[in-house]
Amino acid sequence: MRVLSFTQDMNSPPGDRAPAFLEWEASQRYRHAVGSNGPFFRGLAEGRLRASRCAECGTCWFPPSPFCRKDLRPSQWRDLPGTGRIISAAVVHSPPPFGGIQAPYVLAAIRLDGAEGGITHRVAGEEAPRHGTPVRARFGAPEGEAHPLLGLFFEVAAEAAAGPPAPEGEGNK
Amino acid sequence: MSGEALVVGVGMTPFRGFREDASLRDMAAEAARAALRDAGTGPEHIDLAVIAYESDHFNRQVSLGQILLETAGMAGKPVLRVEGGGATGALAVQAAAGAVAAGRVRSALALGAETNGRGVDRPTAVEILAMSADLEWETPVFGTFAAPYALMIKEHMRRYGTTPDQFARIAVKNRRAALHNPLAHKGMSLTVPEVRNSPPLAGPYRLYDASPLSDGAAAAVLACEEWARSHSATFDRRPPVAVRGMGCASDHPRLADRPTEMFPHFAAKRRAARRAFREAGIDDPARQIDVAEVYDSFSGAELQAYEDLGLCGEGEGGRAAGEGRFELGGPLPVNPSGGLLGRGSAVGATGIAQVVEVVSQLRGEVEGERAVAGARIGMTDAHAGVGSLCAVNVFGRAA
Repeated sequence: MRVLSFTQDMNSPPGDRAPAFLEWEASQRYRHAVGSNGPFFRGLAEGRLRASRCAECGTCWFPPSPFCRKDLRPSQWRDLPGTGRIISAAVVHSPPPFGGIQAPYVLAAIRLDGAEGGITHRVAGEEAPRHGTPVRARFGAPEGEAHPLLGLFFEVAAEAAAGPPAPEGEGNK
Repeated sequence: MSGEALVVGVGMTPFRGFREDASLRDMAAEAARAALRDAGTGPEHIDLAVIAYESDHFNRQVSLGQILLETAGMAGKPVLRVEGGGATGALAVQAAAGAVAAGRVRSALALGAETNGRGVDRPTAVEILAMSADLEWETPVFGTFAAPYALMIKEHMRRYGTTPDQFARIAVKNRRAALHNPLAHKGMSLTVPEVRNSPPLAGPYRLYDASPLSDGAAAAVLACEEWARSHSATFDRRPPVAVRGMGCASDHPRLADRPTEMFPHFAAKRRAARRAFREAGIDDPARQIDVAEVYDSFSGAELQAYEDLGLCGEGEGGRAAGEGRFELGGPLPVNPSGGLLGRGSAVGATGIAQVVEVVSQLRGEVEGERAVAGARIGMTDAHAGVGSLCAVNVFGRAA
């Protein structure tokens, strides 16, 4: 914490609750252990989308978890095909706090093939793809100091890039 | 519930964009005093305090519970802090009412306060709030809660033909109601085109579809009837209001992990409502509930909540909003306080401010445009994130 200023109105009557402000600044630096997610990020750097698979019941989870979310048994790593389908997508006009993405950008909730669960992530392009559009994962080095997750993005699978995107401002049943 | 918990006192500060004349603890003291005065009692008679605030990041004071307790004249009493995102205040009411109903204490104060206003600049506030999404998987790619809300409502639009004009009408409705609430942060006389033409946030959501960030505090005194008869000087001056049912449930915290068929819906809200309604003996909420405070962090979230709370059928929220089914003067006004869109939201205080409104309505104390005449059953609904945790409380006026 670093005090920047203290301001008060000395001309206000004594005892009056005139606005007075202490302005200070705080910045924290975190060393956040990614813990059990380490192999996921290793995979990302290698161009692989990794999930966890329960050694016992075989359920595959994304995001990965060291223990099966159903039976809490230990899980093993497994590569996902990196394909999926759009549940819902929208153009977002404010950039994420970690930087590395310029707004506007397309954000989508994606149902991933081969796993329980999905991912909410950015999709390349300027327009929001429709519900059901097939997408595939693409990998690249995140820019500068960006979050490693931003090395991942999705793009509309080539064979399905047909049909106009859903308009943002209208119901399109 | 084994015993019954009565709401014997309610009070709140005005919600404002920036209370430059008051600190967080000043506001908490104002709200506690107002609730205790309304109950006609003093802090010495309260057995337990439940303190509600969502984030240490806005105020930087960690372990705030004891400080607010002391400020409210209750140093020495047992205190606990609860946190559940946007449902924080609602959970505090549940904890306080639960302790009373279980007979652990005879009286409890639920006290919520938050400085979400301009104590930090807007980008910092948005970043802090975005940290209540999953910091490992979601926050790095979101930037703002407008994004996941937009994904949900877009799927609602696709599936049910819901239109932005329909949820814009909710933004108009709630800000208009707030014009008549002197404690509200942002009463406005808006039109649907003005909402639609405000700056874009994400997907179909525009600036006026989003609720403002406020400073504020709110408090409620919960007690058993025996305590009320001996310690509340105001108890027999007005119809008593009881907590009739409480429900709390969670959902997959990450939006994309939810089953596709439930994607545009708040599953946790359905579960929380089912529990609360069962306790309250409500089997037809649309008919039996007279007034509701619903969590309208975004205009479309209120529309979705109509369905998940059973106030209309699945997929009918858009039509209901479009035809003004839940406006003041109708059979079931939603958010007569102005809701988060109009009254504003100081997160930890919000769920308790909803109780202030519902209890005031059930007592028949609200006058003028906002009055819901003859209301006997009221409910509050609040959620964290985009519905990762939901809390529903039902209140009833005694015969």
